[in-house]
Amino acid sequence: MDSRDSTQSMAANSSGGDDDGGLLSVTASLAKEASLYFQSGKFDECLDLLNQLLEKKPDDPKVLHNIAIAEYFRDGCADPKKLLESLNNVKRRSEELARASGEQAETANNLGNKVILGAKGSGAGHQISSANSGSLIYMDEFDASVAKLNIAVIWFHLHEYAKALSVLEPLYQNIAPIDESTALQICLLLLDVALACHDASRSADVLMYLEKAFGVGGVSQGDSGSMVHQQSTNLLTKYSSVPSSSSVADVSNSDLGASVNASENPLSRTLSEETLEDDTVLVLSSFEISGQNLARSVGLSASNELSRTLVDRSISTVDLKLKLQLYKVRFLLLTRNLKQAKREVKHAMNIARGRDSSMALFLKSQLEYARGNHRKAIKLLLASSNRAEMGISSMFNNNLGCIYYQLGKYHTSSVFFSKALNTSSSLRKDKPLKLFTFSQDKSLLITYNCGLQYLACEKPILAARCFQKASLVFYKRPLLWLRLAECCLMAFEKGLIIAGRSPSDRSEVRVHVIGKGKWRHLVIDDGILKNGHVDSLGTDDCFFGSDGQPKLSLSFARQCLINALHLLNCPELNYEKFGLPSNLSLEENESSEVTSKNSIQRNLTGLDSKISVGLGQVTSNGDAKEQKGGTSLETIQNSVSYCEDTCKREKQMIKQALFANLAYVELQLENPVKALAAARSLLELPDCSRIYIFLGHVYAAEALCLLNKPNEAAEHFSIYLSAGNNVDLPFSQEDCEQWRVEKTVDSEELNGGSMATKNSSPEDPQYILLPNPEEARGTLYANIAALFAMQGELERAHYFVMQALSLLPRSTEATVTAIYIDLMLGKSQEAIAKLKQCSHVRFVPGGFHLSTSC
Amino acid sequence: MLSQEESGRVFALLKSEHRPVEEIVSDFTSKFPRHHHFAICYSLLLLLEDKKTLNSTERLVAFAILHQAYSSQKSSANPFISLIINTACDSEAEKYERAFILQLLSSGTSNINKEFLKQSAADYIKGFDASSHSFPQHEQLQQQYCDKVHSEPYNYSHINVTVKNVLPDPDVPHGCDANSPEFQLQTGAKPKLGSGDRDEAVAGLLANLSLKGLGPQWIRPLPPRFPVLDRELEWLIPDNNHELVWDHGMCADTSRGAAVRDLIAKALKGPLLPAQYEQVVVELANDPKLVYHCGLTPRKLPELVENNPLIAVDVLTKLINSPEISEYYTVLVNMDMSLHSMEVVNRLTTAVELPKEFVRMYITNCISSCQNIKDKYMQNRLVRLVCVFLQSLIRNRIIDVKDLFIEVQAFCIEFSRIREAATLFRLLKTLGLE
Repeated sequence: MDSRDSTQSMAANSSGGDDDGGLLSVTASLAKEASLYFQSGKFDECLDLLNQLLEKKPDDPKVLHNIAIAEYFRDGCADPKKLLESLNNVKRRSEELARASGEQAETANNLGNKVILGAKGSGAGHQISSANSGSLIYMDEFDASVAKLNIAVIWFHLHEYAKALSVLEPLYQNIAPIDESTALQICLLLLDVALACHDASRSADVLMYLEKAFGVGGVSQGDSGSMVHQQSTNLLTKYSSVPSSSSVADVSNSDLGASVNASENPLSRTLSEETLEDDTVLVLSSFEISGQNLARSVGLSASNELSRTLVDRSISTVDLKLKLQLYKVRFLLLTRNLKQAKREVKHAMNIARGRDSSMALFLKSQLEYARGNHRKAIKLLLASSNRAEMGISSMFNNNLGCIYYQLGKYHTSSVFFSKALNTSSSLRKDKPLKLFTFSQDKSLLITYNCGLQYLACEKPILAARCFQKASLVFYKRPLLWLRLAECCLMAFEKGLIIAGRSPSDRSEVRVHVIGKGKWRHLVIDDGILKNGHVDSLGTDDCFFGSDGQPKLSLSFARQCLINALHLLNCPELNYEKFGLPSNLSLEENESSEVTSKNSIQRNLTGLDSKISVGLGQVTSNGDAKEQKGGTSLETIQNSVSYCEDTCKREKQMIKQALFANLAYVELQLENPVKALAAARSLLELPDCSRIYIFLGHVYAAEALCLLNKPNEAAEHFSIYLSAGNNVDLPFSQEDCEQWRVEKTVDSEELNGGSMATKNSSPEDPQYILLPNPEEARGTLYANIAALFAMQGELERAHYFVMQALSLLPRSTEATVTAIYIDLMLGKSQEAIAKLKQCSHVRFVPGGFHLSTSC
Repeated sequence: MLSQEESGRVFALLKSEHRPVEEIVSDFTSKFPRHHHFAICYSLLLLLEDKKTLNSTERLVAFAILHQAYSSQKSSANPFISLIINTACDSEAEKYERAFILQLLSSGTSNINKEFLKQSAADYIKGFDASSHSFPQHEQLQQQYCDKVHSEPYNYSHINVTVKNVLPDPDVPHGCDANSPEFQLQTGAKPKLGSGDRDEAVAGLLANLSLKGLGPQWIRPLPPRFPVLDRELEWLIPDNNHELVWDHGMCADTSRGAAVRDLIAKALKGPLLPAQYEQVVVELANDPKLVYHCGLTPRKLPELVENNPLIAVDVLTKLINSPEISEYYTVLVNMDMSLHSMEVVNRLTTAVELPKEFVRMYITNCISSCQNIKDKYMQNRLVRLVCVFLQSLIRNRIIDVKDLFIEVQAFCIEFSRIREAATLFRLLKTLGLE
C-alpha cells in the first residue's frame, strides 16, 4: 500500500518533467527568461514567452497566473476586476488539481482521515486550509499561495479589507511551507490590513511572528545564517554517534513487540532479565544524557529555522528592519501605548537616518497628536519633505485638519479637510489608474473626517452626505451609524427634516390668536404632539432621495441606530482570533473556529492554542538574546490587552448612546412600547453612566405615561426624589467629565504641561455637548409635575411645575404644563394671564382669512 | 389638525344654510376621506361645545354631520353620541335643535325617517312647530341609543387628560359684557372697537383646532451628541506599497526532495541504513521547506516512530510550527506505548516546548498502559521504561512534578516491587522535601 502511495506521489510530483528531461529544462529556461522580461517591464515579450509555455504546459495554473499578471501590466493596470477574476480562476484551478492529485494518492485506507478533514473544512473560512492540509505533501506544484497573495493585494488596494483578510488568513495560518519572500509579503500585507482594520490582536500576532521569523530582533541576518550552519554540522556529528545505540534499541524493541504479541514465546522468557534490563535502561539513559545536548542543538536549529533567510534580496535587511519598526510604532499607536511608541519611533528615526523618513515623521506627528501635543504635531508634519507629492499632500492636509479639530477650531479644520479632499480626488484624475493609486485615494476616510467636522459645526445635512459616502468603507462600524442617526436628530432639532415644528421651536409657546373682538380666541399650540404626526405622514420606506442623498428623517435615524446595535451585538462573523497567549484570547478561542476545527483536536483541549503560543516559546528557551524578544513580546501583549479593554469600554459607551438615541427617536415617532424597551435596555447596561441612567429613566417614564401606566412611570422618578418633594441632582459635573473619553495623555513627560490641563477644561468643545446637571434636575421637576397632573394630583403638580419653572424659566413644556394645571383647576383667567405675562410666548395671528367665495 | 383647504370646505358646508341637509351630509362623506372624518367631527364637537360660536343653522348642520358620518353603524358606536344626547336633553338648548337631534337619532340606520333631512337647515327652523315634538328624558335616550347606561364617550387615550386648547379671550373694553349686542358686527357699518366677525373666528378655529387638546407636557431631553472617540478621526499615513507578485514557482523543478520522499517512504517500513539516515537529515537541514514535502502525514507517523525514531524526532521538530503539528501530537499520544514512542517523546521534550496537556496525557497513557498489560514480564519491562522516562522528564524539568504527583506516586507504589519504580519514588520524595 505504502509503496504504491509513494510511487504515485512521485509521479504526481514530477509529472511536469517526467516525460523527458529535455522538456523540463526548456520550460524552466523559458520561465526564467519570461520572469526577466517581466522584471524589466517588457510585458509584450514576456507574454510571448508565457504563451509559448502555455502551449507546452496547457492549463498550467502558474503559467496562467503569470499571464494574468503580465497582461494586467501590459494593459496599463486598467482593469483590476478582470485581473481578480483571472486570479480567482487560477486559484480554483490549482486547488482542483491539488485535490485531484491528493485524492489520487491518498487511497481508500485513509478514508477515515478524509472524513475528519471534511468536517474540519465545513467552516467556510477553513475550506482552503483544510484543502491544504489534506494534500499538503503534493501542494508544491499546485501551490496557489502566490495567486492568493495577489488577490489579497488587489483587495487591499481597493480598501476591501475584509475580503483581503479572508484570503490572507488561511495563508497565514499555514505559512510555514510557503517560501520566504512570499511569506514575508503575506505577513506584511496581513499586518497592513489588520492595522487598517484597527485589529490590535491580529496585528500583534503577525508582528510577533515577523519579529521571530525574520529575526529583526537584534541578530543580523548573517549571524543567524552562520549559526544554522554550525548547528547542522553539530547535528551531524551527534547523529553519527547515535545510530549504534539506536540500533540496539531497535533490536530490543522488535523483541519487545514480538513478546507482547506472543507472550507465551518461551524464547523471550529465557532471556536473562538482567541483561535485558541493563539494555533498556542503558538505552534510555543514553538518550537521556545525549538527548540533553542533542536536544538543545535541535531546539536551536528549530528556532533558527524559524528565522527565515530571505532568498529574494529585493528588500535589504535594514529596509526590512525599518519597515518592521514602523509597523511596531503603528501598532503601539493603535493600542494607545504611547510611551512605548515614543521609544520605538525614536528607534525608527535612527534606523531611517539617511532614508526616506516621511513615514516615520508622520507617525511621530501622530504620536504627539495622540498625546495632545498639537503644536508639536503640526511642526513635525511641516517637517516632512515631500509635501509636494499629491498623495502626501492630501494626507498632510487631512492630518492638519484632525489637529485643528481637536483644538476645537472647526472652521480651520474644514479648510484643511476640503484641501485634502481636493488633492485626493485630483489624484485619481491625473495619473493612469494604478492599483497603488486606488489605495492612495483616501477620499473616503477624509470624507468621514469631514462628516465629523460638519457635525461639530452643526451642519447635519452636509455631515450626513459625508457619512453616507464614507459608509462604503465604514459600513461595518457601529459608530458610523450612530453618527448618521445624530445627523438626523440634529436636522430634526433644527427643523430641517419636517415642515412642522421641531424641538428648537420649543423655546417659545405659540399661541394662535383667532378672530377679533368679542370672538377672539386663543389656541395654544401643542407642538410636540403634532411632530410625530407630520413625520409619520412623510415616512416612506425609501431612506434615500432620488439623487442618492440620504433623506434625513426620524425613521432613518431609527434604522441607523438599529444597524449600529446589530453590528455591536454580533461581532464580525469572520473575525477569528489567532492564538494569543493572553487569557482573553483563550476564552474567545472557545467560540472561535480554531478549536472546533476538527474532532481530533478536541481531545487535546487547549492544545492548539498552546501550539500557536509555542511559536513564542520555542525561541524563548534559547539564549539571552531572546530575553529582549521576550520583553517586547510582553509589551505587545500588554498593549493588546489594554487596547481590548479600551475597545470594550468604548463599545459600552456607544451602546449607551445608541439605546438613549433609540428611546428618544421611538418617543418622537410615537412608539412608546419600543421607546420603553430601548430605555429599559439602556438602564440594564452594566456600568452605565449616570447621565444615561437619567435619560433612561426620563424616557422610560414618559413612555409608560403614554402607555397609560402613570404609576409605573412614577417609579422611575422615585430614585431621584428625596424627602418627598425634593429632586436630587441626577448626575454631577464629575459624571460629565468622566463620560468624555479619557485622553491618554502622559502628562509627566510633557514639557508643556499646560496643554494637558487645557484639555480637560470646560472650554473643551466636546464638553458643551453634555446636559447640565441643574437643567436635568429642572427636567425631572417638570416631568414629575406632568405626571402628577396626569394622575389628577393637581396641587402637587402645581408645586413641581413651579420648581421646574424656577430652574428652567424658559422651558416651553413647563410653561404649558403650568397653564394646563391652571385650566384643570378652573383658573382660566390665570392661565390667560400667565400666557400674556410670559416672555417666551409668541402670539401668532390666526393665519386664516376667509376667501371671498365663502 | 385640518389642512387649510379642508377647514375651508368644512366651513363652507356649515355656511350652506339653504341647501338640503341631506345634500350637505353626502357632500361631506364624499368629499372627505373616511380617515379624516373623526378629526373633522371632533373639531365640530369643539365648536358645538361653546354654544355661542356657531349660529343656529350652522349648529344643525354640524349635528347632522356628527350623526350622519357614523350613521352606518349603531348609534352607540358613534364617538360623539354623548354630546348628541346631552344636547337633545339640554333644556336650555333651542327646541328646534333638540327636536332636530331627536329626529336624527330616531332615523337610525334606516332611510325611512329621513324626510326632514331633505329640507335646508334654515327651512327646518322656519317651519318648526314645537307642539308636534315630545322631549324624552336623558336616561331614556341613553338606554335607547347607548348600549350600556354608563357608556363612556369614545376615549382617545389623551383626551381624558387633556383640556381644550381653545380659550375664549374676548377683546372688549374693560368692564364691558362681551355678550352685549353692541359688539355685533354690523354689515356696512364701520367696525368699532371690540366688535368682530364671528364667521372669521369660526373659520380660524376650524383651521387651528387640533384633535388633541392641551395636556401636560413632558420635557424630552435630546440625547447628547456622542463625543469624538480617540481614534475616530482618521489620521492618514503613507501606505506601504504592496506590488503584485510574479510566481517564480512557474515551471520550477518539482523533483526537489524526491530522494528524501523515497527514503521517508522506506523509513516507514524498516530502519534506514546509517548512510540513508544521514542523507535524510542533511537534506532536511539544507532545505527547511522540504519537510513539508517529504511525504509524511500524521497517519503515517506511528510507522516512522517505530522504525526510525530519530527521523521522527527530526521531522517533528521541524514541523513544530506547522498547523498540522497538533494532529501529529494526537497520533503520538494515541499510538501504542513502546520504547521508541517514549524515546521520541523524550527527545522532543528536550528539543522543543511541547504543550503541557500533551505531555501530561502521554504520561497518563504510559501509566495506564503499564497497568493494563496482562503479561507480568512485559509489564515489568514497560514499567521500567516508564520509570526511566519519567525520571528523565523530571530531571530535565520538562514536567512539573506537582502536576502529576499523585498519579505518579500511586504508580510507584503500585509497582514498588520494581527497582526503578522505587528509585523514582525516592526521587519524588527528595523533590517533595525541597
